[in-house]
Amino acid sequence: MASPRIIMKLKVVATRKEPGDVLVVELQHPRKPLLPAFEPGSHVDVHLSDGRVRQYSLCGDPADLSRYTIAVKREPEGRGGSTWLHAAVCVGAELPVSAPRNHFPLKQGNWPVLLLAGGIGITPLLAMAGVLNRQGKPFELHYFTRGRAVAPFLAVIEQVVDRSKLRLHFDDDPETRQDIEALLSTRPSDAQVYYCGPPGFMAAIARASEHWPEGSVHFEAFQPALLDDAPPEPFTIILRNGTEIFVPADTSALSAIRAAGVLLMASCENGVCGTCECGFLEGQPIHRDAVLSKDARSHRFMPCVSRATGVLRLDL
Amino acid sequence: MTWQGRLLHIHIAPAASYEMEELAEAQLIAGRGIVGDRYFLGTGTYSPKPDVREVTLIEVEVLEAMAKGQPKIPGFKAELAPEDHRRNLTTRGVPLGHLVGKRFRVGDTILRAARMNFPCRYIEELLGMPGLYEGLLNRSGLNCTIEFGGIIRPGDPILPMDE
Ligand code: FES
Repeated sequence: MASPRIIMKLKVVATRKEPGDVLVVELQHPRKPLLPAFEPGSHVDVHLSDGRVRQYSLCGDPADLSRYTIAVKREPEGRGGSTWLHAAVCVGAELPVSAPRNHFPLKQGNWPVLLLAGGIGITPLLAMAGVLNRQGKPFELHYFTRGRAVAPFLAVIEQVVDRSKLRLHFDDDPETRQDIEALLSTRPSDAQVYYCGPPGFMAAIARASEHWPEGSVHFEAFQPALLDDAPPEPFTIILRNGTEIFVPADTSALSAIRAAGVLLMASCENGVCGTCECGFLEGQPIHRDAVLSKDARSHRFMPCVSRATGVLRLDL
Repeated sequence: MTWQGRLLHIHIAPAASYEMEELAEAQLIAGRGIVGDRYFLGTGTYSPKPDVREVTLIEVEVLEAMAKGQPKIPGFKAELAPEDHRRNLTTRGVPLGHLVGKRFRVGDTILRAARMNFPCRYIEELLGMPGLYEGLLNRSGLNCTIEFGGIIRPGDPILPMDE
């Protein structure tokens, strides 16, 4: 289980709009000059007024702990969190925000780094690019959007990232378009790739990087992976102490476990934050999360979205 | 028992995991808790067992000793600010360990000490301070119920009551 994090009530000290219907929110602690430290790739949980929790990457400079900067793209078709934030957040407002957590750390080393961002997926990669740029490490940032006019943070990126390391790809500009398959077809020796973006973009890169060795491909998703269409089937969970928990087809493993009286923390309930992670000892899970690595899938399980066939023995 | 103590700080948190906030004045409601606090609001614990944490207290002397590295736990020294320890009332000069089962006054209110608080790994993870659990063993404060409510403020005297 992921560790708990302290929740701070932070003050919104500035907001601004970025292209692509993105709201940038700057947050400060009302009483402390410095916020908890974070690394590029870290995210915070923002607690909405109705109890829902959403994850946002910190896109500011990790060297500046006087404030956190998050960017929220309005998704009218989404689950409502971004629409609420766009409507409710104004300077002076208070937002409950957790201390940062990093599921998307930048590995230390001198290898070439490829950062691939799709649209609002730029947020964690922007912080990474800033740090790599400052450290003088070899990297390239590829930024894919529908067009220059809807690309959030373009002005910031052009200011923070050395021109020679930046590649912009706009769907509406044939000159700049880039075939992802071709980009990832060969792997410069030792190269590491980091990517983040909408589900279609995530899937395209996952496919194009399949031949890259384990451990060289890193990603973070903020929306659940594109699910297979198979209708969910009921299954049974067995806990370490022998308790059997039946999980009906229309109930998540997380709710079934909780209903059985076991305390399990969760936050996104969407398979993207990693809070509810637990181990499994035996059985055939159907992984539906967007956090676990290929390796981890052999022994870890995300009960908020994942399911199983038959019986799954959990390490709980 | 003759002693006289003082209330140094009052902290509440609106829900589990929330940072504590310091109050200049708090309202204690008998049988319930501190207005605005997680135990008052029922948002404090997932544990369904009945609990006696209407108000929790900790001695500032413990925090001071820990900051000096006492007792010696290899590699451990914790500077716990009053808002970090997650207890409601920070006291000076009150022998909390002697009060279990007894009543005492905080300002105009009366508390009954129910049990010594037991530290929990949760705080260690929450604050990112490995070793804190051991550091707080046997001195992580006192859990109380409120027998007689009222308003309390930092600086209020804390006094024993004759049973
Ligand atoms: S609660 Fe976020 S992954 Fe399960």
